[in-house]
Amino acid sequence: MQQHQSILGYKGGRYLRVALLFCVAAIAAYAWHEPPTVYLKPYGGTWLGYTLGGIGAAMILWLMLLGVRKRRYRNAVGSLQGWTSAHVYLGTSLIVIVSLHCAFEFGWNIHTLAYALTVAVVVSGFFGVYAYLHYPELMTKNAGNETLETLLMKVADLDHKCRRIALDLPDDINAIVGSASRAVAREMTQTGSLTLRPVLKPAACPTLAACNALKTIGRTLTGEQAKLNEHLLTEMTRKRGLTDRIRSDLRFRALLQLWLYFHVPLAFALLAALIAHVVAVFYYW
Amino acid sequence: MDVLVTFVRTNPRGKAQRDQRRVAGPVLIVGRGSKSQIHLQDARVALNHARITVAEDGATLEAIEGAIEVNGRPVDSARLAVGDVVEIGPYLITIEPQPTGLLLALAVSASEQSPPGGNIVRRVLMRTPRLSKRRLSYLAFLGIILLCLVVPLAAGFLGGSTPAEPGSAREMLREIVPVVAGNFAQSWNPGPVSRGHQVFGKDCRSCHQFAFLQVRDSACVSCHQALKEHVPRTELTGARGVTFATTRCAECHRDHKGMQMAPRAQELCADCHVDVKNAAPAAQSANVTDFVEDHPAFRVSLLDASHPNAIRRVRQATPATAEMVERSNLKFNHALHLDPNGIRDPEERRTVMDCADCHQPEARGGRLIEPVTMEKHCQRCHSLAFEPKVTTRQVPHGSEQAVMTVLREFYARLVLGDVPPGVVPPPDLQRMRPGAEIDYQERQQALRIADERAQRVLRELYETRDVCSTCHYVTREPAGYKVAPVRVAHTWMPQALFTHAKHATERCSTCHDVTRSKKATDVAMPTVEKCRECHVGARAVIGKVTSDCATCHKFHAGSENWHAALQPATKKGKK
Repeated sequence: MQQHQSILGYKGGRYLRVALLFCVAAIAAYAWHEPPTVYLKPYGGTWLGYTLGGIGAAMILWLMLLGVRKRRYRNAVGSLQGWTSAHVYLGTSLIVIVSLHCAFEFGWNIHTLAYALTVAVVVSGFFGVYAYLHYPELMTKNAGNETLETLLMKVADLDHKCRRIALDLPDDINAIVGSASRAVAREMTQTGSLTLRPVLKPAACPTLAACNALKTIGRTLTGEQAKLNEHLLTEMTRKRGLTDRIRSDLRFRALLQLWLYFHVPLAFALLAALIAHVVAVFYYW
Repeated sequence: MDVLVTFVRTNPRGKAQRDQRRVAGPVLIVGRGSKSQIHLQDARVALNHARITVAEDGATLEAIEGAIEVNGRPVDSARLAVGDVVEIGPYLITIEPQPTGLLLALAVSASEQSPPGGNIVRRVLMRTPRLSKRRLSYLAFLGIILLCLVVPLAAGFLGGSTPAEPGSAREMLREIVPVVAGNFAQSWNPGPVSRGHQVFGKDCRSCHQFAFLQVRDSACVSCHQALKEHVPRTELTGARGVTFATTRCAECHRDHKGMQMAPRAQELCADCHVDVKNAAPAAQSANVTDFVEDHPAFRVSLLDASHPNAIRRVRQATPATAEMVERSNLKFNHALHLDPNGIRDPEERRTVMDCADCHQPEARGGRLIEPVTMEKHCQRCHSLAFEPKVTTRQVPHGSEQAVMTVLREFYARLVLGDVPPGVVPPPDLQRMRPGAEIDYQERQQALRIADERAQRVLRELYETRDVCSTCHYVTREPAGYKVAPVRVAHTWMPQALFTHAKHATERCSTCHDVTRSKKATDVAMPTVEKCRECHVGARAVIGKVTSDCATCHKFHAGSENWHAALQPATKKGKK
């Protein structure tokens, strides 16, 4: 079986070479092209400007088609991995193309908005590449032999067990265990707006707080109850380890998703700005 | 070394069902992998969770990948005794008394405490964020389309169609909406509008008259009516000429590129002027691409006083061609006037003159030099007095008729005995006694004497005395004396944008060398080499003034009207 290969190294960096060729060709054309003397400097309205703009617009449309292609499981036009690899490299070269298209002329207008959105989409894509290359490994490391599902099931088991043990212990311990258990359930299932919550605001671990409380109360207990409390503490500590891993796993999942919340809507904003840009340019030709 | 493994399951009626099988020892792997001897199918059990080793002296349990508890205590390994309960994931393994012949008997059952954990798992794994990417994308797309496309487009069509009631909400809306829309429409503006076009404000349609069509010349000419063509389009031929003739204004004059929209690049001029006859066969100018590289010698526009409508454009050369003479019908000696030792003035002293005594910059703009006039510049020394003892009377300048009239009247009055105060009559003039009564005969006699004297003085003025003929050519014709008409060039190089004002720090003699000029026919205009002492072409050189075509030439100068530029603003001037 073929070894796992990152999208960057797909087919020995085939699309890296294509993208580099693109950039070099565009830069060479830009350097060679002598804009008509009327303009004094390069400009999006020369024949090269229109050409680069046309290529840029076509590239944007094609890059956005990845969203369609990845949903077509039976599509045979290239492998999805190849598409993604090309998406990354050609998307990066887009910055060169559009910068040359606008000849580094900027202003507070729809035209520069389209440029800024292009750059924003590509930069958010860079984070996506980083996330896709980096987080899955960390996730595997974090999960070990477990999956999120087994981790959750184990936490549920431990939770049940802790509650059972706590039944034989004083009321305050019972309350601590119960509230920690509810807090964890709430934390794990809450759906904030976006999935930003576990990324931006890693909650203080309620189980850790409960463990600390149990330790404090445990000093006042004697005999059988002290032993039982120690047992409870052991289980709670195990549970804490598991919830930490779940938390990390959820955080990685969120990070893997989060950049897309910028990448995709920005790409659609770019599409709109691109349409407005083209209409504006030719409406008032 | 077999081990008896009993799987205890609860049947639908709640009764325990024991399913026994013998498993070969001595090592048993407990795990969810199908190769495990004790196969526990649950995700919470590790692939190779634990190992049970059976020996003669008893069985031991060790954790491999998973966590184990024996009798409720988490352990890494333990010796197993009958009655021990081992907890692995959601399973309990109870050590049972072993039947004879077997080393170990185990009962595997699902832990009763195993909770329905699926609920939370499902909720965590299936959770979706409230705001979907798709919804955000629609929002962003439609928002930008609305604000940056629809509103700017609509702004063009907004404007009062039916008047609204004053003060009504509709009227307010009618006022506010176009302003807001107009501001969004500004987002289409690719760059600052040139200074001259800023007056149009947000009214894009002043120039962009038709949607999706390039700006037409008609839009430009609707304001720039007096603009002259560089060359009449009918005179242009060839591919280059036709391209030039069909070039839209906006192809050279690009707006939205900052304050200036007149292109200066001399490559534009060179497009045609590198081989100008190819584009315009009637062109008289020489080929040129850069001031310092190949600008031809200047052509000086010269007048001919005897042919009022003729203009000769004579190219400068070294030595100057015979054509390079000014035919102004004047006599003038610059060398004499600028003698460093001075020139004799009316008081018989020597006065040193300089250029500014006669040549002053134009009052308005200082581009050209004011014409020299007899009254302002010459007459202080070159008196037109006609009677040696009478210094207060001079003949008028400029009209032969007026000279004769003044002389006749002056002498008639003297002869008739009426001597104006301050006038000493010439002693040889025969005069009437003042106060005497004279008859018709005597009066006729007196006038004849006066006329004769006037005629004699006139002849002297024109012919023998150094008065008129000092500067003019005089001929005697049957009708009387005739002074040759004078025309002096006012603009010598009308196609150049030269201005004296910008060269005021230089001395006149830097460019005009007249110290050795003894004749009025001499032309003292600077040559292209003289200009190149300070000016270079479009390529900058340290210490020199960078000068492209537009430094000295105007594109829209037109060729039809430059004739008029040669005439001075005042009437005819005389040196």
